[in-house]
Amino acid sequence: MALVDVNNFYVSSERAFDPSLEGKPLVVLSNNDGCVITRSAEAKALGIPMGAPWFQIAEQAKAWGLQARSSNYELYGDMSARVMEVLGRHTTDLEIYSIDEAFLTLGGTHREQRTTGRTIKQTVQRNTGLPVCVGIAPTKTLAKLANRWAKGNTRLDGVCHWELIPAGQREALLRRLKVTDIWGVGARSAARLNALGIDSAWDLTQADPVVIRKKFSVVLMRTVLELQGTPCITSNESTGNEQVMFSRSFAHPVSTPEAMRQALSVYAQGAASRLARKDLQGRVLTAFAGTSPFSTGTRSSPSICIPLPVHTADPLELTRAAHGLLPLIEEGVSYIRAGVIITDLQPVGTQDSLLNLELGSGDDADPEGGRAGAKDTGPLLHEISRRFGRSSIGLGHAGLRAGSEWTMKRDMLSPHYTTKWADLPVVKA
Amino acid sequence: MKEGEVRGRVDEFGASGTTVGRPAPAAARTELMPSGFASPAQDWFEDRIDLNRHLVPDITSTYIVRVSGHAMEGAGISDGDELIVDRALRPRDGSVVIAVLDGELVIRRLRVASPDPGSGAGAVTLVAASAAYPDMPVPDPEDLVIWGVATRCLHRV
Repeated sequence: MALVDVNNFYVSSERAFDPSLEGKPLVVLSNNDGCVITRSAEAKALGIPMGAPWFQIAEQAKAWGLQARSSNYELYGDMSARVMEVLGRHTTDLEIYSIDEAFLTLGGTHREQRTTGRTIKQTVQRNTGLPVCVGIAPTKTLAKLANRWAKGNTRLDGVCHWELIPAGQREALLRRLKVTDIWGVGARSAARLNALGIDSAWDLTQADPVVIRKKFSVVLMRTVLELQGTPCITSNESTGNEQVMFSRSFAHPVSTPEAMRQALSVYAQGAASRLARKDLQGRVLTAFAGTSPFSTGTRSSPSICIPLPVHTADPLELTRAAHGLLPLIEEGVSYIRAGVIITDLQPVGTQDSLLNLELGSGDDADPEGGRAGAKDTGPLLHEISRRFGRSSIGLGHAGLRAGSEWTMKRDMLSPHYTTKWADLPVVKA
Repeated sequence: MKEGEVRGRVDEFGASGTTVGRPAPAAARTELMPSGFASPAQDWFEDRIDLNRHLVPDITSTYIVRVSGHAMEGAGISDGDELIVDRALRPRDGSVVIAVLDGELVIRRLRVASPDPGSGAGAVTLVAASAAYPDMPVPDPEDLVIWGVATRCLHRV
């Protein structure tokens, strides 16, 4: 099992197309240019903390020579797809874990696996310009550790095979790490583990899995077994296909149900589009909204979970379901975010759908015609927005470009170098 | 012919591509066949020419960039043209390359002189395709960063 991830993914993606950023302090900001979500090594050295609000550091940025960029999701999404495609060529089993990391099953001896790891690193670097680290181990939890080791140890040149490290060194590393440094161990479990005298990652490795199951959970027992070298986290459990989420913070607070209806329409259609791209359908939709945790006014985080009649990726159906949140939206309360999560996913075609009947276009239409119309809507919308841009068409309020004050603020956005013809990188002749 | 010069080189690189990244979309065939007589061409139907398949040997390493400036006009690469660039290709003597110079992406032809029998290294120069632009010798080839190798030029006629 290998874990491959891109070093400083957002920062590296920006630098891949703008070499002037190389060696300079650079931060990438969250939605709405709110706070720092990624820092280059140089920005870390300036002492800029993760999560620092941009407005607090913007003034000094010039004096520091600090560069900032808005999150360029179009660019990161494309670069991620390129990386994953390269990874897929080196394994029979690719499990994408997040935008910039994936687990790969590797065959062969330990040394062969390490060689494959090095090839992967070189190929991703060459084809995309992005630096990656590779951690290889018998289990996912140990692969995470090996990856961390590869990052911290320049001598390894970005590739670390757990089994090829002398046992003494492995023990020394585990003794240095806290239990919370282990993948899947949260702060709450950590406090209780500490109370039992289990402080370091090494202590957890030595724990009795049965005792851990009794006192904690099956989940933590699996972590212990994984640390001991027994693989027990399967791909179905940690796969990124568990849910599709579409959620954003607003540039300006939303305080009317009407504006919230508009936002939810867009997010539901965004989620539908993601489902369509992955050939998935969902059975449960969760819609939520929230006020700022720092708000002095009314605080509220309404959410609603709506089981859909059948598995679907139809934007009409998902939008309608997302609007189920609206009765919970209070006029005058300042909401700063909202989102839509689709769960209980399955591949398209697994099950016959009754949806088309229920979406018939009206009493006067003949059943056949109505059915075909509804069935075609999803792919058609998807195709139109693919060809003419994301804002070219939408259902109901999502189609209105005017007045969408809540769209994301991205004042320091780099060009969409790889996804938009007008934004191609410029080379000097 | 200067333009042909580029094209010849380009084809040589194109042929070295290994993977076709994306299958061409399957065209609908028999589904669209009208009733009555079958089309005499149906057994000869082939997928239409797909530019991606011919111009993009590997979707993970292919990028498109826009040219700004006139230094490469002698090679048929004009201001405003788009270039298809493959980052996976190994630059050789004669390659049209995108180099990183002072934080900028710059396009030039790479010239590598025959290796010096003593040091084993050949002098490296970045050469424009227009007399108005001086050659740029690379003092230490180790420090030269080649961003990618241009394979095709998209020029509006």
